[in-house]
Amino acid sequence: MTSLKQLFALTRRIVRQNLTNADTIITVIAMPVFMLLFFVYILGGNIATASGAMSTSAYLRYSLPGFLLLTMAMGSAYTSLRINTDQTTGFLSRLHSLPIRRWVILGSHVLASVIFMLLAELCVFLVGIAMGYRVHATFGAFMGFWGLSLLFGLAITLLAVPFSLKADNYASAGSFSYILLMLLFVSSALMPTAGMAKLVRIFANHQPMTPIVNTARGLLNSAAAVSTHTAIIAAVWLVAGTIVFGVLSQVVYTRMYLRK
Amino acid sequence: MQAIEVHNVQKSFGKLAVLKGVTLSADRGEIFTLLGENGAGKSTLINILATLSRADAGTVRILGLDPQSKGKQVREQISLNAQSMTLDEEFSGADNLRLIAQLRGIPNANAAIDNLAQRLGMTTFLQRKVKTYSGGMKRRLDIAMSLLGDPELIFLDEPTTGVDPKNRLELWQIIRELRDAGKTVFLTTQYLDEADALSDHIAFIAGGRIVKVGTPAQIKQRVRETYTASVAPVQVADAVQSLTAAGLDFAQHDTRFTFDHTVAARGLQTLLNSNVEVTAYQRDEADLESIFLSVTDQEAHHDVA
Repeated sequence: MTSLKQLFALTRRIVRQNLTNADTIITVIAMPVFMLLFFVYILGGNIATASGAMSTSAYLRYSLPGFLLLTMAMGSAYTSLRINTDQTTGFLSRLHSLPIRRWVILGSHVLASVIFMLLAELCVFLVGIAMGYRVHATFGAFMGFWGLSLLFGLAITLLAVPFSLKADNYASAGSFSYILLMLLFVSSALMPTAGMAKLVRIFANHQPMTPIVNTARGLLNSAAAVSTHTAIIAAVWLVAGTIVFGVLSQVVYTRMYLRK
Repeated sequence: MQAIEVHNVQKSFGKLAVLKGVTLSADRGEIFTLLGENGAGKSTLINILATLSRADAGTVRILGLDPQSKGKQVREQISLNAQSMTLDEEFSGADNLRLIAQLRGIPNANAAIDNLAQRLGMTTFLQRKVKTYSGGMKRRLDIAMSLLGDPELIFLDEPTTGVDPKNRLELWQIIRELRDAGKTVFLTTQYLDEADALSDHIAFIAGGRIVKVGTPAQIKQRVRETYTASVAPVQVADAVQSLTAAGLDFAQHDTRFTFDHTVAARGLQTLLNSNVEVTAYQRDEADLESIFLSVTDQEAHHDVA
């Protein structure tokens, strides 16, 4: 019980840091909203597909799930920043000198990161609703989408942990998030992969983001539902990523703080 | 039972040996100061004592407990104030303190925070955001965060670095009050006047070894005693001639002649026998600075050898 109280106290601190920091809000919420508006209202109507030009509403319907995952990926840079700042200022050392169970310290960063990513995702989702996006899915599928988001947030948070613990400063700590953004841009998140150059298309179709985005799209819109095979591939990527990055985070953290 | 017992502690990072067999002990209720230059191993030792790091070899007891096997019990009774301040600048001072109170599970946290704020003279700025604080206010808040929960043993790692003279003196007073309240304070500093003014015991650390330990008075006594004789300005040449003729070692600075205590009496007698007018003769007062320079110099020679 004490550990849970400590976990919530530390989690609340980090979520509050994010919500009261203008830079974080601009990067993680305002920027994805701006990109959504830009892509939908400026580029969306000009995107040609095999079946002709897309309408802005059709592009919104297609791209919103991708933008939601993009929002979470942008949030991961701030996960790194918070962990790295606590590491470099000595706050983690202060916490380690207190009578707190060690898992609580890193656990609070992970929990706060996932909560903040989901809050940011919800904000962009509501903007999408205001722009005319409508969910066409069963309640179960809709909840499945949030479950997938949670798992996606957890996996990329755990990916952020070792980078942020090892980085010399927060600028380099957040650099890994560019890899995530690049993977999302070169996937089916914002454009169908069919029209991509051959080599890019092969990469896009076989990297983890495409099945994850396609599954997210299908969970929000039954008309875009994907095959069970694609959903399983997405689940495998997410679960495997969570396990691998979770173990890696634990190893780095243990070496830095518990066995030094 | 002593507050801190350290025996032959060694610690290396890769091939770099930072602590090379440190032994020291601190009594309960005293201010024990570890004095050393940057890179001497002060923070490494404090991290081991505060359960943040493990020694490669040697034994450590904190309030009678092994910090590795009884880490949680140790952490319940200690607090660490690190060199760098760990404050949330966007939050108020009260928010920062409240977080620590929650983590330590302090009942009636608000009353404890108010009480501490009054003791440390922080009531006027406690509700303001920390980013508006001066350096001294921030350091005071940082130390207050270390005092919540009433720990028995407080590690202060260079607490006055970067603090202006007025706030420095006020922090000294806070540290003295902690001792007066029966707490043990383990202090590291680079400032010799601070060590001299505050400490019950001082240990000099240089090159990963404790090279001198004792009360400030004991340390000053243990250094090589010297005596200085002042002579009339017109007789300086006579004095040099007579002392040289007698085969005595001395150091001359203007009209002053300094002797090691082993030859001081003979030096004085030689001057008097040569009819040199000795205007003053006194034992030299050792200061910590000269001792510090002396021991760090010896350690440098030791490492070279």
